[in-house]
Amino acid sequence: MEALLKVSGLNKTFGKKKVLHGVDFTVASGHVVGLVGPNGAGKSTIMKAILGLIPTDGGQIQIADQPVSITKHQALRHVGALIEYPGIYPFMTGRQHLNLFAAKKQRKQHIAHIIQVMGMASYIDKPAKSYSLGMKQKLGIAQALVDQPQLVILDEPMNGLDPQAVKDLRDIIRTQAKAGTSFLISSHILSELEKVADDVLILNHGHIIQQSTMQALVEAGGTTYIVQTVNDREAFAALQAAHVPVNLVDRQLQITQTDRTTLNAALIALVHAGIAVQDVTKAQHDLEQSFLDLVEQEVH
Amino acid sequence: MGTLIKQELYKLNHKKGTWFALLFMVVVQIGFAVLSWRYPKFFGTQMLVMNNYIGGVLVDFIMIASAASMIAMEFQYGTIKQLLYRKYYRSQVFVSKLIVLLMQMIGLQVVATAMTGGLTMVVNPKFDWTQTANAMPLWRDYLLTTGGSMLVMLLLLSLVILMATWFKTNAAAIACGFIGYFVTAVAAQIIIMFVQRWHWLKWNPFTMLLTGNQIVDPKTYHALTMLDTPVMIGCTLGYTVLFTLIAYLSFRRRAV
Repeated sequence: MEALLKVSGLNKTFGKKKVLHGVDFTVASGHVVGLVGPNGAGKSTIMKAILGLIPTDGGQIQIADQPVSITKHQALRHVGALIEYPGIYPFMTGRQHLNLFAAKKQRKQHIAHIIQVMGMASYIDKPAKSYSLGMKQKLGIAQALVDQPQLVILDEPMNGLDPQAVKDLRDIIRTQAKAGTSFLISSHILSELEKVADDVLILNHGHIIQQSTMQALVEAGGTTYIVQTVNDREAFAALQAAHVPVNLVDRQLQITQTDRTTLNAALIALVHAGIAVQDVTKAQHDLEQSFLDLVEQEVH
Repeated sequence: MGTLIKQELYKLNHKKGTWFALLFMVVVQIGFAVLSWRYPKFFGTQMLVMNNYIGGVLVDFIMIASAASMIAMEFQYGTIKQLLYRKYYRSQVFVSKLIVLLMQMIGLQVVATAMTGGLTMVVNPKFDWTQTANAMPLWRDYLLTTGGSMLVMLLLLSLVILMATWFKTNAAAIACGFIGYFVTAVAAQIIIMFVQRWHWLKWNPFTMLLTGNQIVDPKTYHALTMLDTPVMIGCTLGYTVLFTLIAYLSFRRRAV
């Protein structure tokens, strides 16, 4: 699929501190890409650079094959964004905010549509200074989406949203992505990102340490089995003796399946050791675990 | 650029303060017109006409507040990113704000002038606009005073805008603008005393705050400023452009 956003060799230094080291990635049309990383990894810096808000120290950014930089903004005409926190004029209502930034063409229809899908009708005509954090966040997202942009960049969009609003946002993103809109989303709520993103970029200390599809990343982590026995300490020792990959985490025996025979080998070892198995449950690796594993690998 | 100007006008229009300030100015003007009608000996019509029934000073205050908040609020509310991540550049955003400020200043002055004319007709229908003032017809004196005030206002606003780019909050920028208004007025009076002793001091920007006075009364003020009136006008505009450029550079460098 054709890449709508291309970032290559992006470098950024603040003072003496280099925060981005040759960052490369692409976002395909209609794809939802999750940008994940610890605090200070450089997620917001990447997003600001893509939006032409900060100068970079090298590298290229292209949106629909047009370059973007602090002095080249033409390509940003079809981009919507919410960066860090929603900018809200307290003296204006939500509807006035949408009016302010919506393009003239089909303005009323677009505004009415976004109010309806975001579920903002009950407070859209009230002054924004009376909004809760979640309402402001919704308004910020609505502002990013109102013009039906080709590319939407959302920095921590789930902040302050209640569970229903998070689900609504997820549905909106999936619907828009099906219609061809590309999304680059950063979030600390990895379980939510896992549900919505097609691809994932893992960033650490300004380096992209992993770029893959969400499915591949989760599957790469393998499957873990949680085994309950009558005596987990003895079982742990028996499994180690039989060279079965096992961890004792929070008094739980975790067996990571490296091939099809791992679980069989574990059960045989336990039977031979005379330890009764009470329960075996399968735990799929999730994005959070994959992320933590990758970051930990980086540290070592 | 047209879109940016429309956006700025939209924000200005939806700020309650914009209309409250205008209403306040009109009410104060009416109040002084009533005083002029009731106590003509203490509140002479001519003096009040020349001051737009105090509307002139209020235009200054409203514009200082507006100029200070127009830039500072974008940083305070975090809305600056929304203005800048679109297809527009910082220069365009900055210029659109300047244009809207200029439009607001002209609009307020038009209202103040219209109110002055209207109130004078009501409280003193026989008021003679052709009487002599500063060796010229009063209407001409009025127009020159108004024009001179607007010129000096531009210089002051460029300073206020420059200061506004340094502040993170609206209130701080406005407070600093008001304080600056009084400080510069006092500084101009003090510096003018030193100009007599060190002539090179006449080129300082505070001298240009007297441009309005010199336009109306060139003879008296030339002796103080030691500059010809066209030079004063040129320097006032020059300093306005200079301060505006520095303000733009400051705005451009500011992190978002």
